[in-house]
Amino acid sequence: MSTVSDVIPSRFSIGGMSTGQKITILVTILFLAILIFATVTTTGFYSVQNFKAIINAAALVGIIAVGMTYIVISGNLFSLSVGTTAAVCALTFMWALRFGLVGGIIITIVFGAVVIGLQGLLVGFTGANPIIVTIAAGALQEAVAIWISGGVSVYPPDNGPSFAFLASPLFGIPFPVYVFVAAVILGEIFIKKSRFGRGLYLMGESPRAGRTAGLPITRLTTGAFVVAGVCAAIAGILIGAFNQSGTMTASGTLTVDSISAVLVGGTAVIGGRGSVVRTAIGAIVIASISDLLLLRGYSTPVQLLVLGVIVTAVVILSYLNSERAGRS
Amino acid sequence: MFETLRLETQGITKTYGHLHALNDASFDLRVGEVHALLGHNGAGKSTLVKILSGVVHPDAGSVRIDGEEVSPRNPRHAQDLGVALVDQELSLVPVLTVEENLRLGSRRAVSSADLRALLDTLGLEHVKLTTLTGSLPIGEQQLVEIARALSRDAKIIILDEPTATLSEPEIDRVFAAVRRLAAQGKSVIYVSHRLGEVLTLCQRATVFRDGKVVGTKNVADLDRAGIVEMMLGHLPEFRTGSEVRTPENPQHISIRGLAIPPRVPTFDLEVQGGVIVALAGQVGCGASEVLRALAGLVPNSRGDVELGGVKLSLGSAVKSCAAGVFFSPSDRKEEGLFLTHSIVDNLVATRLARVSRGGFIQKSKQDAVVSKLLGLTGIARERRELDVGVLSGGNQQKVLVARGIDQPNSKVLLFDEPARGVDVGGRADIHELIRGAAEQGNVVIFHSTDLDEVFDLADVIVTMFAGRLVSVRTRAEATPAAVLTDMTHGEGEISA
Repeated sequence: MSTVSDVIPSRFSIGGMSTGQKITILVTILFLAILIFATVTTTGFYSVQNFKAIINAAALVGIIAVGMTYIVISGNLFSLSVGTTAAVCALTFMWALRFGLVGGIIITIVFGAVVIGLQGLLVGFTGANPIIVTIAAGALQEAVAIWISGGVSVYPPDNGPSFAFLASPLFGIPFPVYVFVAAVILGEIFIKKSRFGRGLYLMGESPRAGRTAGLPITRLTTGAFVVAGVCAAIAGILIGAFNQSGTMTASGTLTVDSISAVLVGGTAVIGGRGSVVRTAIGAIVIASISDLLLLRGYSTPVQLLVLGVIVTAVVILSYLNSERAGRS
Repeated sequence: MFETLRLETQGITKTYGHLHALNDASFDLRVGEVHALLGHNGAGKSTLVKILSGVVHPDAGSVRIDGEEVSPRNPRHAQDLGVALVDQELSLVPVLTVEENLRLGSRRAVSSADLRALLDTLGLEHVKLTTLTGSLPIGEQQLVEIARALSRDAKIIILDEPTATLSEPEIDRVFAAVRRLAAQGKSVIYVSHRLGEVLTLCQRATVFRDGKVVGTKNVADLDRAGIVEMMLGHLPEFRTGSEVRTPENPQHISIRGLAIPPRVPTFDLEVQGGVIVALAGQVGCGASEVLRALAGLVPNSRGDVELGGVKLSLGSAVKSCAAGVFFSPSDRKEEGLFLTHSIVDNLVATRLARVSRGGFIQKSKQDAVVSKLLGLTGIARERRELDVGVLSGGNQQKVLVARGIDQPNSKVLLFDEPARGVDVGGRADIHELIRGAAEQGNVVIFHSTDLDEVFDLADVIVTMFAGRLVSVRTRAEATPAAVLTDMTHGEGEISA
């Protein structure tokens, strides 16, 4: 027997898009409006130089946010220490350059994957709250890093390999932008097409149903965190290369910015939905707005305020939308 | 005094669409009486309880309390009228104290001394008002729940399956409390599947069947056989004879000493592939726990389980699935389906390895699997990308059942209430899917509280009661009366 709801495919009915899709579209429209407004009213916004600056600013946050998207989709909320790990990885990279450029990169990536992957293992195996685990792990990393480095910047070895190209433009575009684009493409294909990615989406919607279906919950959760670790490590390498040194202060607002990028992109906080491409859009939107505010002479607090308002608006929108969907 | 009527209902009718949930039901309750409501799932007793407690409103008929016509508008109004419902599920807040729970939502000012006295009358002298409710054993929580109903000055107390989740000593205490209430002149409506309890505790029993009252009798004039006969009435035609399945490579499961604390002390069963085994029993009989333990979903279960001679390690769903044990839970919304994912995603969720190569999902393999399963379930191909959450209950259940079948590595298929909330047509389809799986040589074990389903699907009927296996019969040997009798009493019954 069919019911009415059986016959009408919801996603083709009016307003039947998913909350995430609606937010992505809304954010894109808003973004285009701001771009037009900015182009008309703000001198210096519509220039190749400025767009390069925007995408460069989006790149580092965006790379971290790609990994964060995996954690959010897996239903494990956020990691609150990816920024710290990125800074620690910058330190690690500077130190590991003594094993050559390739060696340094590999060591740093493995290090990042292990540090964040262990947190995933703890969350997946014990069911511990990811927010608490990652806050604790962040403090731990910071403490150990400052202890070992003595609280000062770490510089590359004197006769070490050259890594300047990691921070310099290639065909006029900064190198991190290529890495960002590659991370988004690979990240999107992997989560959408792989068996692992399918498991993440399913587990993210309902861990209980996932367990009953025989999905390896611990392995999937660890995997999502490992991806986040690899992304944080890559960002850390690029940050280290740009600064030509590693320092813990480099973590800055990376964690919050990457979470904002995921949310503004429209990936659901509750897990099971969303995409890496949406996160990339979120990262670019945030970078553009920050850039616009900067060009118009607003101070850092105002930039933070605007970012806060945007994220809050998106969260409220997605809540209202899911409420409506829940009632229908 | 005893003949005074506390509650009287006449001609109560309630329909949902074409279905008569309750049809011209008349019933009365005396002062100081414990009155049992009996009947199958869907017989109408829950509807009557809901009407009396103000949850639903009747289409026709009258309710009188102490001779005065009333119509409970909502649970709060029913509370003001002196009707209190103690639900099967506990509604206490575990992190609040006993006193806070007793006062929660109450509209009457009751002194702490009165609450204390109330607990004492229920045999809870040793429980402090300041104790955290969650730290009490479940049976004492049930008594606190009853105390809460009484603190509202209820004259009529409805107990819905109060003992389904309790151990025997706990049941004794609930019984003692109920007897004390009756002695104080309260009237108790006692809804239960457990005939032994009814015979022990109640003065009269009213039996429901298909929305109608079959009759009200003095319990003193009844025995088990009499009640079972009233509950069954005219039976639908069951399929006769067993089709003999002779699969090529039948699987085999041997379960020895399976212990699932605290509900199932020990459970033994051997099943040959191709045979469909029903674990028949009421809510709380332990059958659900047995299936869940085999599926690896109960961490502290122990026992010796072998699949074709290979030991199955319990406690890990991943290991159970890898060993070829697939489970459909009874709660399809909470732990069965991924509601905001498509039919396709749900169907392949249990076989991601089979549709992948090199770690990536192969669309062609996925399409082949899904097409075959959609063909088996009769769900239209065009719907494959729809979210499962928008399907009807029947189709959702088909997806859940189909998810577990037709796997090359499957050995044991477990279904908990496979046709829960599904109409007759959908049920037939689901049963056909399950028979197909048995034909392929799988061991099939399902749990149902529904006698019609048990007789329609099973080749072998195993009855369970209070965590223990009561009897094993082939369908040819079994009669509905015998199975129902075993489902509603059993070895572990209390005789008071």
